[in-house]
Amino acid sequence: MTGLAVLAEARWPETPDDVAAPSLPGFVVSSFSALAAEVAERCLSRREAVVVSGASGTDRPVTAVVMVSALGDVVSAVHVADAVDSGGRVGPLLFFQSVPNSVAGHVAARWQLTGPVVSVGGMEAGLDIAALLIEDADADEALLIRVEQACDGGADTGDRAEAVLVAEAVLVAEEER
Amino acid sequence: MAELLAPSRAAVQTPAARTGVRRGSGRVVITGASATSAFGPGVEPLMRAVLDGRPGFRTVRRFDVSGRRVDVAAVLPGSPVLGDELARAIDEACDAAGLSVAQRADCPLFLAIHGDPRLARAADSDRSSHGADAFATTVVRRSGLSEQVRTYTSACVAAATGVADAAAMIARGRAARIAVAAGYLVDADQFALFDAGRALAVDGRVRPFSAGRSGLLLGDGVAAVVLEADPGDGVRFKRTPVIGRLAGWGRAGDAYHVCRPRPDGVGLARAVAAALERARVQPDEIGYVNAHGSGTPHSDEAEAAALYRALGEWAAKVPVSSTKSVHGQALEAGGLLELIVTLFALRAGTLPVNAGYLGPDEACRLNLVLEPGTAMGAEYALSVNSAFGGANTALLVGAP
Repeated sequence: MTGLAVLAEARWPETPDDVAAPSLPGFVVSSFSALAAEVAERCLSRREAVVVSGASGTDRPVTAVVMVSALGDVVSAVHVADAVDSGGRVGPLLFFQSVPNSVAGHVAARWQLTGPVVSVGGMEAGLDIAALLIEDADADEALLIRVEQACDGGADTGDRAEAVLVAEAVLVAEEER
Repeated sequence: MAELLAPSRAAVQTPAARTGVRRGSGRVVITGASATSAFGPGVEPLMRAVLDGRPGFRTVRRFDVSGRRVDVAAVLPGSPVLGDELARAIDEACDAAGLSVAQRADCPLFLAIHGDPRLARAADSDRSSHGADAFATTVVRRSGLSEQVRTYTSACVAAATGVADAAAMIARGRAARIAVAAGYLVDADQFALFDAGRALAVDGRVRPFSAGRSGLLLGDGVAAVVLEADPGDGVRFKRTPVIGRLAGWGRAGDAYHVCRPRPDGVGLARAVAAALERARVQPDEIGYVNAHGSGTPHSDEAEAAALYRALGEWAAKVPVSSTKSVHGQALEAGGLLELIVTLFALRAGTLPVNAGYLGPDEACRLNLVLEPGTAMGAEYALSVNSAFGGANTALLVGAP
């Protein structure tokens, strides 16, 4: 299987200043999508300029977006369940943010990432999918975004997010041969 | 996660100019299938309904819909339990494929779901145990499959993405056999969300590609298939007849919007082109397209544009229907339910009906299947799906 090399990466939190993710217009109630967008922004801003002849036939690489989350947007899910159970109103914006694909679409549109959009429950699957998409030329590279929200109410269980941009790797030794 | 990746002495390979997608050389066949829909358990009642064009929408009694704009969906009676229905569907698909206990135990499961249905109402202290993969693990333990589980939560392309990934792995020899299952049972939370988003059809009918269409309706769907490597010598499959071949697959993104499809259909067209390229099939070899066809105005228009972009003028001739007009929108499970419909329609040689049609929409100039009993003689059929986030999939199936 294709080996993957890291082009750029980012995390949340990275510094003590990372207390609350910047709000993301159109997304409400929950930190999930804002965190995904923030780590994606950081990660893609850090990548070095790489010129590739992508699968699209242009200089722009085709980049897949792979969302990874065990629980998904659990804060939104609990909010909706509470509203349904209490007979309360469910806000229309919650309609689209209930699936992780939506913020992936935001990131893809913002950065013109035209590869496949996939959401999965675990990191091992996410990495395997990224490698196979690249090996089969569905994408030149893949942006993996992982978000896990604090949901158990315990100490030291804050929101965590990370993003990593990967592409096909070859060992330096082989490249120099 | 970066620490899980390549060794430190790795460098990035700049890809050479590409002509298109690749695939492994192995052939992929589907040897078992099972489905449960609003028409009851089994593929047969589902196929009778889609071939007759008989919608299954009825008033929802599973939960309170009195405050909603719309009160119908294509639902089974009562309140079926997702884990139970999935276990049954997987069991039936594995039986249909003739898998032994040992073969099941070695078979990974790719499961397309929204998540563990109990997550949102679990106690705070217990929520972390209700992840999607954990739910899938409980399902495989009941089914006797391998605990190599993977869950897809990519909304309406979740199941089709799982099928595409399974096929890609089998074609490359990374797995001999993978079970793909998917499930969505109409629930109060998603119903409330779709109602709040004004996505549901206010006239209680799904009318894909038709003038006067007003939206989608949700539907129950639980399905499973077994994908296997075909050694090509015909020996292995003496134990069971092959249902069909997964000849090609493709997935691509719109890079356009959070939830709206790209109006020119470029993303979906690339997914279709990838499926055709992998199968080495020309557009005019396709005898039927099972469309995503949600019945929402802009989505259907974008899909029609995509079919023209991918198939050229054959898009005006190839028979097309969206069977969501009959079984509803099964969200994460929709792609698998529709793949099974496509496979069995190909076997039957009869086209599923695009129900609910009122009249032509100039933005959707497709050859819709409007009457039951229309014959199909082609070797290939295509199933396409699109989802929020601009995700698109295409699965091309071939006769055995």
